[in-house]
Amino acid sequence: MRKDIGMETLDYDVAIVGSGLAGLRTAIEVLRRDKGKLGLKVAVISKIYLMRSHSVSAEGGTSAVLYPEEGDSFELMAWDTIKGSDFLADQDAVWRFVHIATQEIRLIERWGVPWNRREDGRIEQRWFGGLSFPRATYAQDKTGFFEMRALYDTLLKYDNWDRFDENFVTSIVIENNEFKGFTAIDLKTGNFRYFRAKAGVIATGGAGQLYRITSMAVSSTGDGYGLAYNAGLPLKDMEFVQFHPTGLVPRGILITEAARGEGAYLINKDGERFMQKYAPSKMELAPRDIVSRAIMKEIMEGKGIYDEKSGLYHVWLDMRHLGKERIEQKLPFIREIGLKYLGIDIVDQPLPIRPTVHYNMGGIHVDIDGKVLDSTGTPVKGLWAAGEAACVSIQGSNRLGSNGTNECLVYGYIVGNDIYNYIEKERPALPSPSQNILTTEEDRIFGKLLGKESGGEDVYEIRDELKDTMEKYVHVYRTGSDLEKAVVKIRELKERYKNIRLTDKSRVFNYNLEHALELGNMLELAEIIARGALLRTESRGAHARLDYPNRDDTNWLKHTIALKGADGPLFSYIPVKITMWKPVARVY
Amino acid sequence: MGEDKKEKRYKTGLLRSLWPYNFNAERYSYTLHRITGVILALYLIAHVFEIYHFALGPVAWEQTIALLGSLGIWEKIGLWIIAGSALYHGANGLRLILNEVFGMLLGKPVLPEYPYTPTSLSRNQKIAIYVILAIVIALWIWAGLYLLEGLGII
Amino acid sequence: MKVRIRRYDGQKEWWQDYEVDVKSSDTVLDVLNKIREKQDHTLAFRLSCQMGSCGSCGMVINGLPALACQTRISELKTDSIRIEPLYNYKVIKDLVVDLNEFVNKHRSVKPWIIRKNPEELEEAPIEFKVTPEQNLTFVQFDYCIMCGICLAACPTVAIDPLFLGPQALGQAYRYIADPRDEGFEERIDILDDSHGVWRCHFAGACSYVCPKGVDPAKAIQFLKKEILKYRLLHKKKAATKPAELVEKAPPPNAPKPPPFDFKFEGGV
Ligand SMILES: Cc1cc2nc3c(=O)[nH]c(=O)nc-3n(C[C@H](O)[C@H](O)[C@H](O)COP(=O)(O)OP(=O)(O)OC[C@H]3O[C@@H](n4cnc5c(N)ncnc54)[C@H](O)[C@@H]3O)c2cc1C
Ligand code: SF4
Ligand code: FES
Repeated sequence: MRKDIGMETLDYDVAIVGSGLAGLRTAIEVLRRDKGKLGLKVAVISKIYLMRSHSVSAEGGTSAVLYPEEGDSFELMAWDTIKGSDFLADQDAVWRFVHIATQEIRLIERWGVPWNRREDGRIEQRWFGGLSFPRATYAQDKTGFFEMRALYDTLLKYDNWDRFDENFVTSIVIENNEFKGFTAIDLKTGNFRYFRAKAGVIATGGAGQLYRITSMAVSSTGDGYGLAYNAGLPLKDMEFVQFHPTGLVPRGILITEAARGEGAYLINKDGERFMQKYAPSKMELAPRDIVSRAIMKEIMEGKGIYDEKSGLYHVWLDMRHLGKERIEQKLPFIREIGLKYLGIDIVDQPLPIRPTVHYNMGGIHVDIDGKVLDSTGTPVKGLWAAGEAACVSIQGSNRLGSNGTNECLVYGYIVGNDIYNYIEKERPALPSPSQNILTTEEDRIFGKLLGKESGGEDVYEIRDELKDTMEKYVHVYRTGSDLEKAVVKIRELKERYKNIRLTDKSRVFNYNLEHALELGNMLELAEIIARGALLRTESRGAHARLDYPNRDDTNWLKHTIALKGADGPLFSYIPVKITMWKPVARVY
Repeated sequence: MGEDKKEKRYKTGLLRSLWPYNFNAERYSYTLHRITGVILALYLIAHVFEIYHFALGPVAWEQTIALLGSLGIWEKIGLWIIAGSALYHGANGLRLILNEVFGMLLGKPVLPEYPYTPTSLSRNQKIAIYVILAIVIALWIWAGLYLLEGLGII
Repeated sequence: MKVRIRRYDGQKEWWQDYEVDVKSSDTVLDVLNKIREKQDHTLAFRLSCQMGSCGSCGMVINGLPALACQTRISELKTDSIRIEPLYNYKVIKDLVVDLNEFVNKHRSVKPWIIRKNPEELEEAPIEFKVTPEQNLTFVQFDYCIMCGICLAACPTVAIDPLFLGPQALGQAYRYIADPRDEGFEERIDILDDSHGVWRCHFAGACSYVCPKGVDPAKAIQFLKKEILKYRLLHKKKAATKPAELVEKAPPPNAPKPPPFDFKFEGGV
């Protein structure tokens, strides 16, 4: 540890921001490959305690081909993923992904995940939306939680790493297209830190907090996107925000798709199983975009139920016919949530649900190895991204349920290996950035933000207005005029953000400061999402426009790339890699 | 790094440890077990002291007896408390041996079900605690009566 | 509703009262959020998932350690709330306590699968067979979200800060009971220690407050039994039958993709 210019500099070989499934898996992979050979030192940085990352909330399952002898195949999983993505996925990446997923399920099995089992002891799998074979591997309805536990515990086994709990990363230091480290605030002391590293990984998860009704944790504020964007790196496909069909009214707590996988029904005001209108063959198990749209359609047509307490419309999710025993075996957490938050026992009452924000298909523009690409499409030396923060793109315009956790695992593996190979082959030296980058950043936070005495805007007011705007105008169904209103409002909020003043001036655990920095990222993202959605004049996957209801493959079979410009984002487009299947109409 | 601030533990220490308010029956019984244990330990020291004087010869022994006699009724009350402590500590100790050595009264590992009621604090455990209390109190009253009888009060 | 919060800013400690409008469906965490967002931006407390699965929001509510996001106002049945930081921990600011010791205790019991042949944990084509019954022997203890609430309730932690505590011991048992694990003998010296299992006198407070039904007290008593069996009868853990390994053909690593516009037999 070296002290200079009033800040701490910490030297590592690999610095990983984010300790969700993707971050932990990457760390393990680097250490596992290394086994002391190069003696790589790894830093795992997270703004909350490592084991508290949002991945613990993942419930339903993780897809992988485990039983080809029973009729599953890699081709089938690839096809499901690509069709589910509404053909916006890069097919070469999907093909690689489906193979590694199998190996990952087995690996974490041996690291302690208590998968649900068949009678003979083999791993059990179940149905999930949009699958043509029951291949969602699960551990009750706490799959992500158990995976996180196994990875976290396994990481503890290794010695050559340090944990940085509650360190908020504020910027990526990049010079001449070369990664030079991260700057961070140690929340516990309020000190400014510079993590100097040969390789960096961004695994900061999604940005569900842009919305009011969300299933995502408070820590999912999309910082990683903001960091990359502010460092001049492109973001891909950000307008595709997944709405999970079944969020518990009023707050949007997730009721896992596994409920429908086990056979739950969706029912409208008239007691009708309305999914037969929208997806006659798959019914409730159609992909999420289709089910979410269906629910919103029902509500728009006046077939929703009005909930007086929250003032929201909803439909019912009915599990009564499953029986108590099955519910306790397979869906205990859903039962707990119902009882705890609404006093409803799913054994004898249906749950009120409506779509809730769930996942960001888009993310930092990376190549098939997880290397972060710059605006010209060349990799930034020494920087990778993985998990929800990255967009390879495997998920295209709509992620299939149970394809998120395995993307994190697979890309943790790929990126970990790639980093190891890079360091082994190139033997890079520790970077030395110009000091003024670091001092400018320190000044931005502590001088210009914390130390600012003028202005009167309040962080939380702006955040509330932002959430309401997104909820109102950039929801499941979008229209040009709504999106325009959203853009205007967001720009106004961005102006007001320049004028904020913090009330908490302390250094130790200054959450006010953290929230202000997060809000800065969120505002940028909101603008990218709304403007990207406004430009994309078609409906594809999670992006559904009422004024352009059809998919338009001639003009829009391409990825959106957003770059930071002087005045808001600049958009360009790149082609989708189609190597296996031509787009066809998507019926379920 | 920022070590200037004093960090201290919140609401900890011996008294907190013995303060079961708001918690479960087992924690009350834990408090009682500890307190009775301390009483017994003190008694043991006093007892060794007494025996030691007996070994010193008749004069010393006479003196000790006189000292105890001068306590009057407090000697009996003391004995009564010690008897109660021994009864409770012994009986509850048996329960703990069942728990800790034989793994009994704990239930099996289960799939936790909401609302979570831990099997180790389940009905069996509670019954054991109440049965112990009932027996101990009954015997303790009996011991009290016996001591009173010795005093010639009844 | 009146809310009393124990505050600490690094120098002084004080109680602060707030008056908050609440709905009966609100949780204590919602109330704290309202205070932080609308009344007092300086209030520090942790939160993340808001659905009781990350373990961030442990605090003492009306004298009982609990998760704020799992405690509904209507369940409290009082007309005022008293909120304090977790007992037995060092407080850093307001409701934020220092969890580093806690995390290190967890690590010290080697909470990972140990195999005599570590290669078995590395090669992908293998898989363990674990029957549903075998699964049951440890899954309960795997529910732990590391909230640290149990240590705040534990009377032994109050007098011995070095005591490993219910969470770490519970996790040690979780791995020992796992049919895939072979590390009992490696862990036994850590557990069989004056700050280990024998410090526990079974007050059961940990199991009483645990928000996830982990029942660490049960795990600790089982541990004592296993350790006694090992020391006195030289018996290795027999509680669970070891899991069988199945060898599977390795999946081909990215074989050639199917021909362009490949059609599935029978269609999908
Ligand atoms: C309720 C819910 C249920 C889900 N269920 C499923 C499912 O059943 N199956 C499935 O496949 N997928 C599911 N998903 C999706 C899946 O959980 C996520 O895609 C995945 O967990 C993302 O993991 P991650 O590692 O990318 O990021 P996260 O787990 O979100 O971790 C982000 C990390 O980054 C850190 N971080 C963020 N910003 C900063 C910063 N500025 N400085 C420092 N650190 C920072 C955070 O502290 C955290 O550690 C679900 C998602 C939700 C919301
Ligand atoms: S055992 Fe229970 S109370 Fe203790 S840390 Fe784990 S979940 Fe929390
Ligand atoms: S916020 Fe995650 S447990 Fe309460």
